Amino acid sequence: MSAPPSFLFVDDEARILSALRRTLRREGWEILLAETPDEALALLRQRPVDVVVSDQKMPGMSGLQLLAEVARLCPGAQRVLLTGWPEEVPRQRLAQLGVSALVAKPWDDGDLKAVLRAQLEG
Amino acid sequence: MSEITSSAHIVIVRPGSDRPEGSDPHGTLRALRGLGAGVRVDVFDSAAAGLAASADADLVVVDGGSPGEAEALLAQARGAGPPVLAVAADAADAAAVEWFRRGAADCVVAGVDAGQALASVALEQLRRTRGERERRRVADRLAWLETLNAAIVSEIPAAIAVVDDAGRLVTANPAFTAAWGSSGRLPGRRLDEVLPSELLETGAIPAALERARAGHPAVPALARGVAPDGSPIFYDVRAQRLDDEGRALLLLADVTERETLAKRIADLRRYNENIIQNLNSALLVVDTRGVITFANAMASQILGAAGDDPRGRSVWDWFSNAQGQGALLARSLQRGERFRGAETILTRADGSVVPVGISCAPLVDADGTRLGAVAIFQDLTEITLLQRQVLQTEKMASIGQLAAGVAHEINNPMGFIHANLFQMADYLSDLRRLWSQVGDLRKTLDDGQVEGIRRAGEALEALARELDAEFVLDDFEKAIRESQEGSERIRHIVRDLRDFSRADGEERVPADVNQCLDSTANIVWSMMKHSVVLKKRYADLPPVDGFPMQLKQVFMNLLVNAYQAIEERLADSGERGEIELVTELRGERVIVAVSDSGVGIAPEQLDRIFDPFFTTKEVGVGVGLGLSTCFSIVRKHGGSLRARNRRPHGATFEVVLPVSPAAGDAERRG
Repeated sequence: MSAPPSFLFVDDEARILSALRRTLRREGWEILLAETPDEALALLRQRPVDVVVSDQKMPGMSGLQLLAEVARLCPGAQRVLLTGWPEEVPRQRLAQLGVSALVAKPWDDGDLKAVLRAQLEG
Repeated sequence: MSEITSSAHIVIVRPGSDRPEGSDPHGTLRALRGLGAGVRVDVFDSAAAGLAASADADLVVVDGGSPGEAEALLAQARGAGPPVLAVAADAADAAAVEWFRRGAADCVVAGVDAGQALASVALEQLRRTRGERERRRVADRLAWLETLNAAIVSEIPAAIAVVDDAGRLVTANPAFTAAWGSSGRLPGRRLDEVLPSELLETGAIPAALERARAGHPAVPALARGVAPDGSPIFYDVRAQRLDDEGRALLLLADVTERETLAKRIADLRRYNENIIQNLNSALLVVDTRGVITFANAMASQILGAAGDDPRGRSVWDWFSNAQGQGALLARSLQRGERFRGAETILTRADGSVVPVGISCAPLVDADGTRLGAVAIFQDLTEITLLQRQVLQTEKMASIGQLAAGVAHEINNPMGFIHANLFQMADYLSDLRRLWSQVGDLRKTLDDGQVEGIRRAGEALEALARELDAEFVLDDFEKAIRESQEGSERIRHIVRDLRDFSRADGEERVPADVNQCLDSTANIVWSMMKHSVVLKKRYADLPPVDGFPMQLKQVFMNLLVNAYQAIEERLADSGERGEIELVTELRGERVIVAVSDSGVGIAPEQLDRIFDPFFTTKEVGVGVGLGLSTCFSIVRKHGGSLRARNRRPHGATFEVVLPVSPAAGDAERRG
């Protein structure tokens, strides 16, 4: 039996992380959480993950900056941006960085699950 | 007889006499003493002594001796001196003739009845002397009066003329001649030919002469002439009846200067009154007790007393002297203090309230005695409304700037509450499945069949395992707790926003400055928390008499500015800026300092940053009213706002607020 798919969620809001874990607990995935970009990068230096989902607005580093960094550290990981203001994120920049999906906050339960499942198929 | 002898002085001289002291061989002394008690008689035994004493005497009697011996006395008589009466020892005609020839007034021959004769002759002489002296005195007085008169008439600057009943000039003084005598000799000519027609046109001169001839007392009258340069000349006209032949004295005094001055004063007065009455500001003059002594039209209008005169009423009928800015007015009246640009309210008789901006100055007379005060005030109703609108607009604009941050701050809890609700619905359906299994179990209990009970129990346990019931219960509780906390956060943000967007009332209220600062910082915090470290150091502060919503506006503007200054310096650098909020109490003043580590203020802009519409921000970022609004709000509180740069980066804005307006006033004066 192969290891379950691993997801790393990054958000400076601990309650968001808690709600994400709750939402996805039945998916059978390995859920990793980081409250700061630094914490996320430290974790990725130790092990790869299949998908990184990051908040956009965070102290010190934006979500896009983090995802760019993730591409370097962990080239195989799918990258998803989770943001309250999806319309403010430049599409061009998303494409440049190879970010594969954008999820609006607050998210719709079904939509979120569908987007994340799709990452595993890509 | 008595009036002649009441104070007569007779000097008796007995020349060359070797007669014993006190002897009176001719009865001369007795006869003269007999003239009356008022007659003073002095006796001298030498002509020289007699001469010395006789200059002021009324009569000199030479008793015996020869005319030669009495020559000095006779010479004095020939001048203007007292007359000499000789008493001759013998009756020789030659001797008598000689006395008369040398100037004696009379000669009496000593003898048996000589006393009687001497007395009557002496009396006659005294009468004559007295008469002569009186005439001379009158003549002298007359001559002096004539001299005085001539001097006055010729030297007085007024033109004087005597006019007869036919209106002809009898005589005129030099001033009159100088003015109107250029065409030739004046006496005999008609006044209406001599004086210019425009001077007579007003009718003042003929009327004055008419009144004088009729014997009526003079009344002040003014005649108007024209000077060669065309400017008006004014004459004060007076006429006085001189005699029964209808002659009258006419006096014309040039009062042009006085009249011009009077007119100028009247003009000036009218001019000032015009200004004061039409002033767009209200002007009140009050005495030291606060009783209104003057009010211009605008003052009456603002006081709501347009119909009736507010003079005589107390200024305290409108203003409150108990507290706030009204106390300034009271102090200005009581102690003569001056203040400018205070804002207060006045209450009209109908109860309506008018906000006014008022300045007050003591009214002092030339000796420095305080008479009261002058107050100038403006109706601020419209300005206040406008100001309030601007304030509210500004406030809403700053909320607009914060919207993104605030929305983010609301969006995060919304996000997890929303997700949690989904999960809680899942948990609830899990729990329902368990509950329905519990129902099955109960049914088997009713049946009482052990096998059924055991199977149902195993099924319940299996389901609980499948659903991870233990975890579901724990996590359900956790999800509720976290969602509650999230909704609490949203509630706080909304409350702060609502609190911030409210407007103040008209009246000052005790404001908790720390609370105002802190709740405002909470709103701004959401915007800046990713790029700023916020430090707070609050002191225990007494409440400040003021407008808390406006103070929040000030703090908001300062905080937003601080944040923008930090963004400008550190944007995209990943480095965090710092904002420090410090409050402290210094005497009667509360100090609020907002310091940042931003770009600071360019030195050349330091004195302009509080100007309205001055902005360093890009178009669309602000309207440039932020700091000038802060400045005017702080000033309205009687405080001050200062800015300075910090080292190595950033700026500090310091708000100084007096605990009460009176304290602020004391500070401004101090």
